[in-house]
Amino acid sequence: MVSNIGFFLARRAINAVITILFLVLIIFILVHIILPSPIALARLYANNPHATPEYIQQVINRYGLAAPIWTQFYNYVVQLLHGNLGTDTITGNPVSTVLINYLPVTLELVIIGQVAGVLVGLYTGGIAASNRNRAPDYGVKAIYLSTWGAPPFLVAVIFQLIFAYWLNLLPSSLVVDPTLPIPAFVTGAPIIDGLIAGNWAYMYSSIQHILLPAATIGIVGFGLVTRLTRASMIDALDKDYVKLAFMKGLSKRKVVWGTAFRNALIPIITLIALIFAFSVGGAVVIEDVFDYHGMGWFTVQAIYNLDYPAIVAFTILVGLSVIAANLAADLLYAAADPRVRLT
Amino acid sequence: MGLGSIFDNMRRKPIRAAKSGTAVDLGASATTLEGGQAGEVSAGLRFYFLYLRKDRAALVGVAMITVFLGWALIEGILQQVTALTGNKFYELMLVPANPNTLDFNHVLVAPTLNNFPAYLFGTNYLGQSILARMMYAAPHDALASLVVVGSAILIGMLLGTTAGYFGGWLDEGLMRLTDAFLSIPGIVLAIAIATLVGGGFTSLLYALMVVWWPTYARFFRGQALSLRDKAYVEASKLSGAGSGRILLKHIFPNSIDPIVAYATLDLGTVILTYSVLAFLGIGLTIGYPEWGAEASVGLSYFPYQWWPTIIPGVIIAAVVVAFTLVGDRLQDLIVGRLTY
Repeated sequence: MVSNIGFFLARRAINAVITILFLVLIIFILVHIILPSPIALARLYANNPHATPEYIQQVINRYGLAAPIWTQFYNYVVQLLHGNLGTDTITGNPVSTVLINYLPVTLELVIIGQVAGVLVGLYTGGIAASNRNRAPDYGVKAIYLSTWGAPPFLVAVIFQLIFAYWLNLLPSSLVVDPTLPIPAFVTGAPIIDGLIAGNWAYMYSSIQHILLPAATIGIVGFGLVTRLTRASMIDALDKDYVKLAFMKGLSKRKVVWGTAFRNALIPIITLIALIFAFSVGGAVVIEDVFDYHGMGWFTVQAIYNLDYPAIVAFTILVGLSVIAANLAADLLYAAADPRVRLT
Repeated sequence: MGLGSIFDNMRRKPIRAAKSGTAVDLGASATTLEGGQAGEVSAGLRFYFLYLRKDRAALVGVAMITVFLGWALIEGILQQVTALTGNKFYELMLVPANPNTLDFNHVLVAPTLNNFPAYLFGTNYLGQSILARMMYAAPHDALASLVVVGSAILIGMLLGTTAGYFGGWLDEGLMRLTDAFLSIPGIVLAIAIATLVGGGFTSLLYALMVVWWPTYARFFRGQALSLRDKAYVEASKLSGAGSGRILLKHIFPNSIDPIVAYATLDLGTVILTYSVLAFLGIGLTIGYPEWGAEASVGLSYFPYQWWPTIIPGVIIAAVVVAFTLVGDRLQDLIVGRLTY
């Protein structure tokens, strides 16, 4: 079994590497289709509409933009393997160090939000399925349809309006109260860093600040989970083993949540990786609205500044984390369903 | 309690393939329809209509979509006429107010019935009527959704069917490519592409087209895989038909049907993504309002002036929900019909 998993992991890792290479290649080719000449590319890197020809030439030399595309691609991949994602054209710092500061903040936000969204979605999906075509089902359907259709910025703004301005319960922006002393950088995620440093005020403040954006991210994925859980539960509730469980005289609660739910869970695991991708995409807007200084916020700044290396680096990083999430989902899938073999 | 509701309903809701086609094959989950509709196997609009009529929610969705697409078509044509003749009269003929006129005497007017209907949704920070701007911007959203989903179906059909039908290294290569595209959330890749291409509605359309096809490629591949072993394909092969003819006559027509429901849902998703990109300031054209951009600009005056942000958001949500309602229902219908 152990060697089986090792083999599976190796296979998936090779696949992931190929996918990432494809990904970089796609972005690279797209850039070169859009901007075929080195001068146009250099303008992009220079990030200055009024750059002099000498400066442009300097930029071409610095980034090696005059080389053939294959050489450039090779160089980029080699740099990527060294963990070098290019230089931020605004600050002049390496993009990787900038992103390392922001990535944990976003990951913390997305993971907390997604876990909450998935848990609530599983519950409401189960409720809807076991009360099919009755009031609870319609209620759940109305909720998930409206959250599904609502653009993330609308949800974010409504949360701000209700919880921050009307009820005055939670802060409407920023990652943490800026007046508090910052604990030492360990993981970069504010809640965990506060916990490690024993800085309770900081931790409490960051929890307060994360609630609204995390809830918004949760809502983005909630609709998908509810929908699939409902469909999958309805399938499971039709099965003979559920009928048998009812005939044995088990209570409805036990059958629904004990017997049917476990079996309905299996197809949903695949979805969780998908929602992760979905949430990371949604985080861009949500962090912008909440002024939550994570990777998404940084990307929006990069869009405004046309900071091309940062945008490409962000795209590749998101791709990497989605591939990792997919791998994790496959492993979970095998753990949940003994019929699934890892090959 | 409980038993009846579980056992009596033998019609099972299909599992929807989630946003990337990795989840469940639409054709595979066996379902049966409720009694009366079983006879209506014949395809055609009448059948769809009869089915949709039974569901009030879906009817509401159809009505909203009709209004949205109808208005977008009319206003779009009028805007084209304006572009051809250079006379602004045409495009403003049906809009309650000029969406671009600045009126600093009526800045941030709350939604009111005064000066009906121009101030129905209030005005933004430049005194422009939000209703007029929403109505004026509708053609872009409708066009984006139709063009992007249409191109995704075409590209996906071409690549996916080829991969599934021929198999082998072609399949492997094309699917790795699809995986690479699927591994990035569409919105993130669209941001990257649209920023690189730089500005404008057309570049945003290209970006969305580049991003949108992989789900469809996966889907059509699955269809081709299941269809290529069907008896009629075998028969066609035996009678000497070439691959091209089989693909055109058998595989394409038979695999397009189940995608209709997903594509309907997806029209809404495109509008959602498009509005989010516009919210981030990507793909805007100067002088042309966008639903998402409208909300983004209003954010500076939030929360004391809530309407410039909330109203565009609610309109986007309403349109997307309409597409979802109809797509949801069509999905039941099509999956049911397929296995019957």
